[in-house]
Amino acid sequence: MTWTIARKEILSNLLSYKFYVVILLASVLAATSFFVMTRDYKERLADYSLIRPKAGEPIAVNPPNPLSIFAKGLDEAMARSFEVDRIGVTVRAGQKSGNAIFAFFPTPDFLYVVRVVLSLVALLFGFDQVSREKEAGTLRQILANQTSRSAVLLGKWAGNFLSLAIPFALVTALGIAVLGLDPDIRFSADQVLRLALILVLTLIYIAFFLSLGILISTLTRRASSSVIILLFIWVLLVFILPNLGTLVARQMVDVPSVRALSEKREQVWTREILLRIKGQGDMPSHVRTISAENDALEADYRIKFDRLVNLSKNINRISPVASFVYAVTEVAGTGIGEEGAFKREVVRYKNAVLGKMLASPNMESSEYPAFLYHYRPLGRVLAGGALFDTAWLAAFGVLFFALSYLAFVRYDVR
Amino acid sequence: MTDPKPILKADDLSKRYEDGVLAVDHLNLSIYPGEVYCLLGANGAGKTTTINLFLNFIPPTTGTCFINEIDVNKDPLEAKKYVAFVSENVMLYGNFTARQNLDFFAKLGGKTALAKNDYYQVMRRVSLQEKAFDQRVKNFSKGMRQKLGIAIAVIKDAPGILLDEPTSGLDPKAATEFLEIMAELKNEGKAILMSTHDIFRAKEIGDRVGIMKEGRLVMERTRQELQYEDLVKIYIDYMKSEPLAV
Repeated sequence: MTWTIARKEILSNLLSYKFYVVILLASVLAATSFFVMTRDYKERLADYSLIRPKAGEPIAVNPPNPLSIFAKGLDEAMARSFEVDRIGVTVRAGQKSGNAIFAFFPTPDFLYVVRVVLSLVALLFGFDQVSREKEAGTLRQILANQTSRSAVLLGKWAGNFLSLAIPFALVTALGIAVLGLDPDIRFSADQVLRLALILVLTLIYIAFFLSLGILISTLTRRASSSVIILLFIWVLLVFILPNLGTLVARQMVDVPSVRALSEKREQVWTREILLRIKGQGDMPSHVRTISAENDALEADYRIKFDRLVNLSKNINRISPVASFVYAVTEVAGTGIGEEGAFKREVVRYKNAVLGKMLASPNMESSEYPAFLYHYRPLGRVLAGGALFDTAWLAAFGVLFFALSYLAFVRYDVR
Repeated sequence: MTDPKPILKADDLSKRYEDGVLAVDHLNLSIYPGEVYCLLGANGAGKTTTINLFLNFIPPTTGTCFINEIDVNKDPLEAKKYVAFVSENVMLYGNFTARQNLDFFAKLGGKTALAKNDYYQVMRRVSLQEKAFDQRVKNFSKGMRQKLGIAIAVIKDAPGILLDEPTSGLDPKAATEFLEIMAELKNEGKAILMSTHDIFRAKEIGDRVGIMKEGRLVMERTRQELQYEDLVKIYIDYMKSEPLAV
């Protein structure tokens, strides 16, 4: 019975113009996103070729991540140039998006298209599933047969999910295949696996919004009421709640500003230089002191910053949309966790370079070690929070479907 | 020879809605194979509520509905295997063709191994025009939709059929054709419960006719009895009579 209903839903979608309009819209947006973000990636790659350090230069620069085409996240921050000198690390702009419009609008990456557009599309597929059939009178006709309400609901969910997921997965796969033809873009096997995982996450995200749409449909008598309620919830989930956590957390956790941190570093540096001028201690010991104090400042800042980030993330998770964003960016290697790991790696690199500098002050620059960042393995990324966010998102989808069932069992079909 | 068992049976059935309205009041009814039972009554008399109770769309306040001796409230899915339903306005999927609609509802009715020709045969039987078989239903007239509704009931081949004012709004020709099909189904041994406002057609097709007023079955006559009585007069007399004491 479930499959009969699912087939009917698929056929019904295939026969409606709404389906083609929506699929065309999603395809055009996905294609545009791939095009724009590929150009952005290539520009940043060209910048990287220009600024990448010569052999032995004590500079840490990470090339842009090809998966940033799909989820840009913090890739720009990770692709900056970190120059090591005797007083610590100087951060330079590095490879920044040449597209100034990105400063005004959200980056139109695949993640954005899915987060905003596809969520709305999934709601459009779900918002009238029950109320429309009731209004049309077909629900009575269906339930006059030996068809259980759970089969009707599950069939509707499955049919609409497949109607949405299959074309979307095909369009995305085609887009990835086209990207693969570009000689400048090379995905490693690990990155292909991560892409597949991002696609799975996207499907879970679609399922979540479809369940939400069906839930509201079972709670309303009219499709028009359903659409208004869902639009309100959509704005709340996609735009308001995921930003609320940051605002609230800032009121609860004090983190020194980057400017204050920089000022403190200057003070340490000035103090040590003055001591040196007074003739107290040798230069290497002062450099070590500066480095150690800067590291302590950075570590203290990082602890407070991590507390702020964790609190913000936890509050933002009220909206499963935030969980989706965290999971996708972490899997893509452009998330907050990856950026933290990268920063720690830069500090380690700085200490290694400083150690060499102080051990042999007359060392040739070509003898400094090269910086090479290895992204965290997927297993660690998943264990570090991505799996939790995925489960959280899926749990909301299941919960909403279960609630739809409870509402539909009591639904007056007359 | 044992007595035939009723396919559709209401046993002391009552339904009081949340707003306090008593829509069905201790209704007892048995419809046997090969019998057409017509339920007459004004709007709000409880005819549609009775059908909704048989289909388990709403739970009864007291009493029980049985379909093929299965308690509808206890095992609705099993009970609904033995009944087909045609509503006042057969609502179907407008984007689907007649055959696609028929295919979908046939599968819901448990007929999963039917071929294209089986559908065409049923549609011919209910006098749907050949050219309409593969046309989208959204362009169908009410008469055509009602015929397709009957086709859905026919293809399910259930022993019981529930009809909720099926001829309402049909032109005389379409209504006559509709009732001819009903007569055929009756001859095949189907037990048919039809709620209707149409006194003349009720008399014409009904083996028994009942009149409902304020949820109660206030009168019941067999076809034989109606040969000697004027159903129109009886109906009008009941409608004009004082409200029933609660």
